[in-house]
Amino acid sequence: MKNLITILLLMTSLSPMAQNGKAITEKKTFSRTTTVSIAIESDVSILWALLTNAADFPRWNSTITSIDGDIEQGKKIRLKSTLDTKRTFKLKVKEMVPDQKMVWKGGMGKRVYTLKKSGDQVIFTMSEKIGGLMFPLFANKIPSFDESFEQFAADLKKEAELIAQAR
Amino acid sequence: MTSETFNQEFEKIKPQLKSYILRMTASVQDTEDLLQDTWIRANEKLDTFKGISSLKTWIFAIASNLTIDNLRKKKRWPENVTDICKAAAKEDPRHFQETMKLIESSNYAKFEIQEHIAFCFTCIAKSLPLEQHLCLLLKEIYDFKIKEVATILQTTEALVKYHLHTARQKMIEIFEGRCALINQEGICHQCSEINGIFNPKQNIQEELVKIKMVREADKADKEHLFDLRMEVLKDIDPYSSGAHELQLHHLEHNRRVMEEYLKKNE
Repeated sequence: MKNLITILLLMTSLSPMAQNGKAITEKKTFSRTTTVSIAIESDVSILWALLTNAADFPRWNSTITSIDGDIEQGKKIRLKSTLDTKRTFKLKVKEMVPDQKMVWKGGMGKRVYTLKKSGDQVIFTMSEKIGGLMFPLFANKIPSFDESFEQFAADLKKEAELIAQAR
Repeated sequence: MTSETFNQEFEKIKPQLKSYILRMTASVQDTEDLLQDTWIRANEKLDTFKGISSLKTWIFAIASNLTIDNLRKKKRWPENVTDICKAAAKEDPRHFQETMKLIESSNYAKFEIQEHIAFCFTCIAKSLPLEQHLCLLLKEIYDFKIKEVATILQTTEALVKYHLHTARQKMIEIFEGRCALINQEGICHQCSEINGIFNPKQNIQEELVKIKMVREADKADKEHLFDLRMEVLKDIDPYSSGAHELQLHHLEHNRRVMEEYLKKNE
């Protein structure tokens, strides 16, 4: 029984869906996927509002320096991140399902945000897959997203919970 | 509720309602029109008032709807509105002459710093997105609870909390960067500059220490200073304060300047 519990605990902490704010990166020959998931005690509409207000992002999110453009379906945005301060990421908002899901598409990757209600909490998950046929050639030159993803999730949790506590 | 009771209640709410609409629109004429429209609409719909919310909340909801319709198509003002309007005033000798004439002829046009603080907030708050602006005024100045603001704006409490928080943070950031009253490195000194022009006999330092926000600027945190700024606004009725004619004159000037500015920069 004890062994079974230990195995279950290990599985939970290693699972890509673990909601502990720890990023997990899965590396394959032609792609790399980083995922972070975190439980947030807030309202799903607060999270959605935070994730879709481009101009306000840098105020609460320490991983993003600026986002130009509107985060709306089909619109293009220009994002500057602490991941690579010299680079501007040109992305397109491919999909938006209010309060549930948003997809940003870039030159060689796709980022998916999902929100799921779970009791009084919301499970926020952010996943980014980068890859392609040429990926193996520059894979080791792309920095790890883990730290940045964990910070993103932590910042979102902090801000969304602060707003939800307002009286 | 009878029409007579409604009219009595409306009269009680009217000063706050009028000040709210003015602070949203920054237009004396639009405020008069929207106030009248609110009374008409409320009268027409009086039989639908079931008392689920207070009458004040119900009337503010009607006024907010009409105000939103009025403002929806208009552009928001930029954060540096007071810089733009100051530059325009400097280039317009007629504005200066009109102001001096008003100060000499009116008992309600002596420059008061507290009133300028309220006026300045009215202008800068118009840089916030509309929803944030509405939530901020209703909650922080007109003392509605979050639940009541949600009723007035027909939205959820969660979104009111979001708009309110975001608006507060934005305004705190703007005033922290601009307002020399709370930050020695603030770039805007218009309070003392205008006091020097229109009320040179008034000792600015003596006036400033009367303002709690200024007295506590060195030791209080930003959130508290913003709350104190809101207290200044709560204490001032832009239609009956000691210097309301001067401040309304300034506000009309700024509205005209901003309408031209926004048109030019379309």
